[in-house]
Amino acid sequence: MQEPRDPAELLKAAADDDQTAWDELESRFGPRMWAVARVCGLTEADAADAVQGAWLRLLEHLHDIREPSGVGAWLATTTRREALLILRKELPRAPFFDVALDSDPAAAVLEADSSRILWRTVSTLHEPCRTLLQLVATDLGYQQVALRLGVPLGSVGPTRTRCLEKLRTLISLQETVQ
Amino acid sequence: MINDEYFLAALRLAAGNDPMPGHVSAAARDAYGLRVPQAVTAAPAESATPHGVRGIDGCQLVRFVAAGLTFDLEVTVGDGLIDVAGQIVPHPGEGTHVDVRTPHLTLTRRLARTGQFAATGLPPGWLSVVCHRPGHPPVQTRWVRIRP
Repeated sequence: MQEPRDPAELLKAAADDDQTAWDELESRFGPRMWAVARVCGLTEADAADAVQGAWLRLLEHLHDIREPSGVGAWLATTTRREALLILRKELPRAPFFDVALDSDPAAAVLEADSSRILWRTVSTLHEPCRTLLQLVATDLGYQQVALRLGVPLGSVGPTRTRCLEKLRTLISLQETVQ
Repeated sequence: MINDEYFLAALRLAAGNDPMPGHVSAAARDAYGLRVPQAVTAAPAESATPHGVRGIDGCQLVRFVAAGLTFDLEVTVGDGLIDVAGQIVPHPGEGTHVDVRTPHLTLTRRLARTGQFAATGLPPGWLSVVCHRPGHPPVQTRWVRIRP
C-alpha cells in the first residue's frame, strides 16, 4: 500500500494540476474544518458555506501558503475566520478580512494524533469534567448539559472553561513527557 | 476564545456524531475545477461608498483592485437569486470579456464601452468575477459570499 503523501507534497501537487492531491487534502482536512465551523455555532447550511469559503481561499493561495506542511492548520484557521465573518454578517463594515498568512498555533490540536490523545485524556478526567466535555463535544446546548449534570445553568460555561484548562494542562504535560 | 474553539472542534471530531455531510465534501472537491491558471487576485478595497454595506434596497457594493484595474460590483439579492451589475475601470481594452462565477454556474459577458457588465439569476453563495483581456493574465476578484 502506498504511503500517504505529506501535506506539503499534496499542496505542491495540487498547485501543479493534480486533482487527486486536492481530493486527498479534502479527505484529510475537510472533517476538521467542518468541526471548527460547527463549534463556532453555525447551522449546517452556514457551516457548509464556511468550509467551502476556506477551500476557495486555498485556491486563491495555492502557490503562496507560507508553511506548506501546516496547510491543515491554515485551513482550520481560515475556516474559523470565515465562520466568524458569517456570524458577524449583519454588522456593517465587516464583510472582508485579510486572509491569514499564518495559522493560529492552537489549530495544531486538530492534527489527527492530537485528536486521539485528546479524547483519551478526556476519559481520564474526574467528574464533572469528563461528562461535561463529552456532552459539549456531542453538541448538547448548555441547558441540556445542565440538566444531565444536575448543575445550575449559569455554572456550565465557567465549568467548561475550567475543564478545558485542565485538559490543556494534561495534554501539554503529555507532550512534555513525549 | 481561540484555543477553546479548536479544542472543542477536536473533541467533536473524535466524538464523531456530527460528520461532515457528503455534499460539503463533494463541493470542496469540485472547487478545484474553479482555479484560474496564472490569475492575478484582486483584493477588496475601499470605495467612495463604504464597501460591503447593504443599501436600503438590499444591494451590496463591493470593490476589488489589482493589476491597475478596479472592479466595482453592485450585487442585489432578490427572489432568492443574485443579480450583479459591475464596472471595470479603466476599460481593459478591446476583446475583453468577464466571467461572473459561482461554484455551480458561470455566465460570460462582453464589456460595454463604459466597462460595464451585468449578470442576473445567479444562485446565492460564493461569487467571483474574472476579467480576461487579450495579452494579459486574467484578473480574478477574491471570492465573496452573497446571501439574502
